[in-house]
Amino acid sequence: MRVKYFALLRDVTGKSEEEWREPAATVGDLLLALASHYGPEFGRWVLKDGKLWNLVMVLVNGHDVRQMQQLATPLAPDDTVVIFPPVGGG
Amino acid sequence: MAKMLMINPDKCTGCHDCELACSMVHESVFRPDATRVHVYTWEREGFSVPMMCQHCRDAPCITVCTPHALTRDPETGWVNLDEAKCIGCKMCVQACPFGNAVWDELTHKILKCDLCGGDPACAKWCPSQAIEWVDDVAATRTRKRAFAAKFKEVFSE
Amino acid sequence: MHGWNGQILRVNLSTGKIATEPLDPQIAHDYLGARGLGTKFMADEVDPKVDPLSPENKLIFAPGPLTGTYAPSGGRYEVVTKGALTGAIAASNSGGVWGPELKFAGYDMLILEGKAPKPVYLWIKDATVEIHDATHIWGKTVPDTTDAIRAETDEDAKIACIGPAGENLVRFACVMNDFHRAAGRSGTGAVMGSKNLKAVAVVGTGGVSCADNAAFERAVLKARDKIQKHPVGGTGLRLYGTDVLTNILNQIGAYPTRNFQTGYFPTADKIGGESLAANQLQRPKGCFSCIISCGRVTKVTNKKFAGEGEGPEYESAWALGGDCGVDDLDAVTKANYLCNEYGMDTITMGTTIACAMELYEKSIITRDETGIPLEWGNAEAMVEAVRLTGTGEGFGKKLALGSYRLADSYGHPELSMSVKKQEMPAYDARAIQGIGLNYATANCGAAHVRGYTISPEVLGVPMKVDKDEIEGKPELVITFQNLTAALDATGACLFTTFGIGADELAEMLSSLTGITYTTEDFMKCGDRIWNLERLWNLRAGLTAKDDALPSRLLKEPIPTGASKGEVSRLPELLPRYYELRGWDDGGVPTPSKLQALGLAT
Repeated sequence: MRVKYFALLRDVTGKSEEEWREPAATVGDLLLALASHYGPEFGRWVLKDGKLWNLVMVLVNGHDVRQMQQLATPLAPDDTVVIFPPVGGG
Repeated sequence: MAKMLMINPDKCTGCHDCELACSMVHESVFRPDATRVHVYTWEREGFSVPMMCQHCRDAPCITVCTPHALTRDPETGWVNLDEAKCIGCKMCVQACPFGNAVWDELTHKILKCDLCGGDPACAKWCPSQAIEWVDDVAATRTRKRAFAAKFKEVFSE
Repeated sequence: MHGWNGQILRVNLSTGKIATEPLDPQIAHDYLGARGLGTKFMADEVDPKVDPLSPENKLIFAPGPLTGTYAPSGGRYEVVTKGALTGAIAASNSGGVWGPELKFAGYDMLILEGKAPKPVYLWIKDATVEIHDATHIWGKTVPDTTDAIRAETDEDAKIACIGPAGENLVRFACVMNDFHRAAGRSGTGAVMGSKNLKAVAVVGTGGVSCADNAAFERAVLKARDKIQKHPVGGTGLRLYGTDVLTNILNQIGAYPTRNFQTGYFPTADKIGGESLAANQLQRPKGCFSCIISCGRVTKVTNKKFAGEGEGPEYESAWALGGDCGVDDLDAVTKANYLCNEYGMDTITMGTTIACAMELYEKSIITRDETGIPLEWGNAEAMVEAVRLTGTGEGFGKKLALGSYRLADSYGHPELSMSVKKQEMPAYDARAIQGIGLNYATANCGAAHVRGYTISPEVLGVPMKVDKDEIEGKPELVITFQNLTAALDATGACLFTTFGIGADELAEMLSSLTGITYTTEDFMKCGDRIWNLERLWNLRAGLTAKDDALPSRLLKEPIPTGASKGEVSRLPELLPRYYELRGWDDGGVPTPSKLQALGLAT
């Protein structure tokens, strides 16, 4: 699946997007896998006490997972996942 | 180990919180003209610098002060102003090479940083660490290293 | 009085009369300051039917009680008048350091009346207030004006001024202060130009007092801590500025592209906050007493668009960028600098060019008439269009009308993406229901800051609500509108609401002024100010028909992007909004509503 990073997460991962080949059934599985791969600097911007930080925006095919099943939102291999750390307003 | 107020102008955002904290602590009012720290901003470049008494070892203000209102505490190294002894001659204003002794036309007093007795309000209130209350030797070494790193960047290309 | 100075400065530019008068404590209590105080005086003194560019209009500069203190981001002021762009009540908010200086000079408000016989500027140093000749400064850009007036008065003078755009009565000319900050919208700069007033220069050597220093300090430190701990106000905005929103709005398909023809711009990343930080950012900048530092000190080295200054903010980057189909950040930033130098609102400037580009696309206007190829995405043409508007040359004279009057002159007002003749900002109301209701009902015309429901609907601050849902949206919009009106009236910055809310603002206000404001009192001030603005607009001739959105947003679903297929459901939201506001179904506040707010006449 395609994963796109914005703001701080670009510095943490060193990329703005990538093709993530490890299978992930849900958004939660994906985020844990990414946190494991990129380390605590990634994890601290998306997870709080094992749950999705409510200020983080994760979109699956353009739709906000906070409006769906949060970390339990299912993923398909051809989905595009976009992750924004809590950053902006104005 | 002595402490000093370290100025990091590259971090200053020009917010003036240091001035407001200083005037509130010393004069119980929000009045930038009554402060001992002043921020200067160059708007076109977007660059700001806070300035306050450097508590010099060989302080010219002490040398010119005839009533000895300005003295240096040998233990802390701070240059202190005794307002009761000050005659308002403004010689310190002339002598300070940095312009950090200032005359307040409203209260007819010399305004000079007193480090808030060891807990400087400006450093506490600064939101971007443009003013830091730090160990003097370590701070200057850190600054030296930071600038050395800039040379490394330039020359390693 | 504490927090307030208790003094108003009134200057009649026709007669040259300068006088001070006391600020009635009851009025201060009920309207706080800034937007509230200015609106109250406009309501009492100015016939809402006057021509905004006539001497009968008044121009008010007002900071708030928190302005000039160390309340977080407590440095703002408001310019209140009848808007040259809209013909509605206008209250334009600005930061920088000018507002506090007026407080230190001893005033809570400056009221400017009439029209000077020739160009002048006002010089205020504490109790000394003088009208100085400005004929030799007329025509100068904002930075050059600031330098020239400082050279004549005081090198540390804080200056609010207009550039050539205000002088030429560009409908969306703005008031600029401290070089780079703008009281941007609704054409307050044109009103200033119509009075032959070039600038207000201030030096204040006094201070702002506090009723309870210790309690205020505690309340402020608590508020600062909350803001600093919040990732948006504490980190995100300082690193990326507001332009970080570009990718956020684009990825959810709510980024209005090419005059709202769609909601997704494929190359938006090139003009987003990440790009800005990587390519142009020199350092962050903060306004007076600000701990957030969202300001961007930037530089463009590309010879074609070289320059330096501050910005662009998200709305500016969007209006001059994606809304025009332009993805060249250097061009966008240069256009932003030009707007600041000439003194023009970036949102209206960009959206007016976008409207002209659509007229051009549809061959309603031609190359012969425009002189420049106003094609979507043509960065050079966009920058040239800004320059022509600022200098008043060629097609710039038409762009100077703003998108509504421009499109209307060609028989196509529906192509102006505006409400009450003020252009909508950078959030597509088809994809975000609450913000659409806010655009339609904001008293100054379409505006995002009047009720920034983007926070809950998109960002999830303070909590996430479904952007597509209409249930609960009227309530949400009203709460945000009332809170914002009260907050604006204190002189604090809207961005403190990434972290704090009415509770903390009421606490700071109480300990500063010595007058107890409960959260309910505070919100009631906001409701009162909102209704007073509404009454003024009704007297000016606006009606419920003006609480509308362009038909494109109601009838043309977004064709591409993540919010494809969506339209605004405003007609379902508006009746409920009126009802909850305590207004009749014509959008008129009922007598009992006015009674409850102390507004009954």
